Amino acid sequence: MNRKLWLVVALALPILALAGSAYLKSVQRNSGEAVTLPISGFDPRDLLSGHYLIYRVDYGVEVTCDKQQGPASVCLKPKRGFYPTGELPTDCTLFIHGQCNDGAFSAGIERFYIPDAYAQVLEDKVRDRQGELVLAVDDQGNAAIRDLLISGKPWKDTIGGLD
Amino acid sequence: MNTLTKLNQWLQAGLITPDQYAAISAFETENQPRSNGWLYSFMILGAVIIGLGVISLIAANWANITDSTKLGIDFSLLFVLAVGVFWQYPNRRHGVWFEVLLVGFMLLCLASIGLISQIFHLGGQWYHALLFWAAITFLLSLFARSLFTRFFWVTLLLQGLVWSLVDFTIPDIWQHWKALPAVLLLAPLLSATLYYATFPVKTLRGFSTSLYFWFQITAMIALAAIDIARSGGEMTEYQIAWFVPAYIAAGLLALGILSHRHYRWLNKLLLLSALGLLLLYFHPDWLFSGQSRYSLFGSQAHATVGFWQADDIRAPLLTLAILFLYALHSGNSGRQHTFNLVTFVIGLRFVILYFQAMGGLAATGVGLIVSGSLIIGMTWLWYKSRERLRAWTTGLQA
Repeated sequence: MNRKLWLVVALALPILALAGSAYLKSVQRNSGEAVTLPISGFDPRDLLSGHYLIYRVDYGVEVTCDKQQGPASVCLKPKRGFYPTGELPTDCTLFIHGQCNDGAFSAGIERFYIPDAYAQVLEDKVRDRQGELVLAVDDQGNAAIRDLLISGKPWKDTIGGLD
Repeated sequence: MNTLTKLNQWLQAGLITPDQYAAISAFETENQPRSNGWLYSFMILGAVIIGLGVISLIAANWANITDSTKLGIDFSLLFVLAVGVFWQYPNRRHGVWFEVLLVGFMLLCLASIGLISQIFHLGGQWYHALLFWAAITFLLSLFARSLFTRFFWVTLLLQGLVWSLVDFTIPDIWQHWKALPAVLLLAPLLSATLYYATFPVKTLRGFSTSLYFWFQITAMIALAAIDIARSGGEMTEYQIAWFVPAYIAAGLLALGILSHRHYRWLNKLLLLSALGLLLLYFHPDWLFSGQSRYSLFGSQAHATVGFWQADDIRAPLLTLAILFLYALHSGNSGRQHTFNLVTFVIGLRFVILYFQAMGGLAATGVGLIVSGSLIIGMTWLWYKSRERLRAWTTGLQA
């Protein structure tokens, strides 16, 4: 293969990789079952870090990683429960996969990017327990964030009232 | 001093004839590169600033533009830059635009990763993003002609690789600053391993200078940090598991040293010994108790511990031994600048060791005079004998 052809490959590779990544994330976000979970702030750490909110997701069940490290799952249907990955009940039809690290469960949905101008107001709303996360959860347990709700409305719809 | 000035000096000294002067001048004028380093630097600096501007715009996360529009603009820009790079490829040897567009494209790839993370609210770590970027731009980096571009790529690759590997054994390292020595040890070992990996493959040799640079910088930082930590009785609470990536890198590095064709057995022995001592230095509790100190800059009374058992005596001795072995290797393999730098650091560490061991003495007037004389003496000795020492190291197993 001559060098010009290699250059075409070298230029196309990042574009295709990035486009593929964006496409897969988009598919994941737009498919799967919609789940809405409340979120809350956790003291004393500041919720706002740069241009994103970080928060604690309320799965409706006690999520404790005190005794375990590594993969774990939260079952959402039919009965909510928290399990190490191998112990997930076979009748669980909707679940979210994540990791236990240093006593905290993380499913990659603990960060929501927001405009800097609304950061403080949104942080206060989340602290006041007015925040909810709309997720898309596929049958493999992967969760993707669809939206952030403030008092039941999409956060962008509440911007007017926040200004 | 430029070529013309040199030629004038040689002509005046009678070293070259006027005909030779004219011939060399004509040759240099004809073969002078059309672009120069300054032009490259400023053009690339401009591209970097534009890239940072794009990243800042994305970071501003403007809410009124739809996600599809943001992605559409981003991918259109990527495509335009890609076409520009391809278009400038035939002029890559004579112009700066190929390199500028290449850097711009690579920066925009990085910005695109940030944009995708932002749009889809991805919770990954920054070092995973760097590693992904380095992977997708690797082929492109092989086309870079400027040292800056390759250095930029290598720097981000090492950052991504080191932190990602440590993340395997210490997830969320930001919560565990005690685990930082694992990063400090891994960085030079990985840089050196990759440095040796570039030798068998001709297309990778363009990265070797950057990898060697980062090896030297990170090795000095690692050595200084472990010396301070051990001398101060720190690093008593940590786990062997944190160091697993570094131990794997050390194994690969040892293979790289042993299989390096240009090294004689003496070089291999010196480097492997230095590597072994460095691993010993970082090992949790073989040589250091964290409890026994002889003295520390005169700030505390001598403990009831033997001179050779004390952490703050063993630490500098290990530092000096590692530096000495590396200096011998550098001198023997003809790396003069490295040899000078390492021997200078050896002298500096000797002076600090003197203050550590004789801390109380330095607090007196006589002690300060002795200390000052020692510094001057060491500097003079280093300056006078470095060439002789280098000649001796070069002659070893010649």
